[in-house]
Amino acid sequence: MKTEGKIPPVVRLQYVSGDLIIKEGDFGLSIYEIISGKVGIFVDSSGTEIQVATLDPGMIIGEMSFLTGTSSPRSASARALEDCCLEAWHPNMISTVYKKMPIILGLIAGQSLKSLARMNKTISGYNSKKRKDEIKQIQQSSDRWSSRRSFYRKEFDKECVYRPVNSPKSLKLIGRIKNISRGGMQMVAKTSNSLDYSHVPGDKFFASVYLKPGQQVNMTAKIVKLQKGESAGTISMGMAFTHMTQEDQKRLGFFLMP
Amino acid sequence: MTIDPQVYSIVVNEESFPDKSVIIKEGSGGDWIHVILEGRVKIKKQTSKGLLTIETLTVGDFIGAMEFLKQSKVPRFTSAIADGPVLVGTLDAELLKKDWESQPLRLKKLISSLMQNLEDAITNFVDLAEASKLR
Repeated sequence: MKTEGKIPPVVRLQYVSGDLIIKEGDFGLSIYEIISGKVGIFVDSSGTEIQVATLDPGMIIGEMSFLTGTSSPRSASARALEDCCLEAWHPNMISTVYKKMPIILGLIAGQSLKSLARMNKTISGYNSKKRKDEIKQIQQSSDRWSSRRSFYRKEFDKECVYRPVNSPKSLKLIGRIKNISRGGMQMVAKTSNSLDYSHVPGDKFFASVYLKPGQQVNMTAKIVKLQKGESAGTISMGMAFTHMTQEDQKRLGFFLMP
Repeated sequence: MTIDPQVYSIVVNEESFPDKSVIIKEGSGGDWIHVILEGRVKIKKQTSKGLLTIETLTVGDFIGAMEFLKQSKVPRFTSAIADGPVLVGTLDAELLKKDWESQPLRLKKLISSLMQNLEDAITNFVDLAEASKLR
């Protein structure tokens, strides 16, 4: 159907698991109703995405920016936790009815909005502190892990494919393994990967790499150390293997032999 | 903060409460909305270790809006307790109900979602406070 340049007041959109629907800090006023699937609400805390809520069908997202007005950026990110169908409401459509709303309902909404913003800020503060404590603990164990691993690692420079453990199989992020040992590896990836998918200490990933032609090894590994890569726009991850089949362990063992 | 004249025009009853008296009790029935005319009111939630203050409301703020806009006869989610002497006005529930019901469906969904998000945030806040033993 031709819309002759007009944006329809309501459109239905499909998202697959992991898709970013709204990005914190962006400017946008559309409101979305979840028709099917679950959506996670995340806030950024010192570079880490912290999930503050899980929303079910029938619930609305993106209303904060609309209610607080055009000058406010999105206060949280929304990401599809599974395949989702959302109905997007054009802000002009909802704005027209909002302006006609009785003043008392407007005042009640305004008060609730302020309370919610304050509450989310407090929750984010608590979660951030908790996360920092967890990272500190992981950091301490990673230092011990790094010193143990350094004796047995083999320099290496191969492209690998990886994805977060809870992401769809179709997702393929590209990384480069710089060295590998029985216990873990160092992987370098583009920083842009970490913008779309969480890459923080503790996050687990599936990864596959060809050690030699015909010798593929699959593993599950978690980030234990994260730092800027040597090249601009890259991150370097120290990763500990959390799962590998016995066959792949043997393959890796032979590969590591002098 | 002052009272909006349109809000004041639908106040049907005024009631005074002495310091620390309970204006609304968590878990009780009722979907009246009140507006604070004088003084301050603390919104509190019961936890395993006593009452936790969620926020402090002042003149012009509403009490009990969450339950009213849910329109499902849910028990009061939090308690409202006078923080010093307080004067509250009860709003004309019938008029408000009529106003609310005449709003477009998507607008009602938007406001109801906001109320649900606030309720969820309060629950999260209470859980975190209990976990970190903050009071």
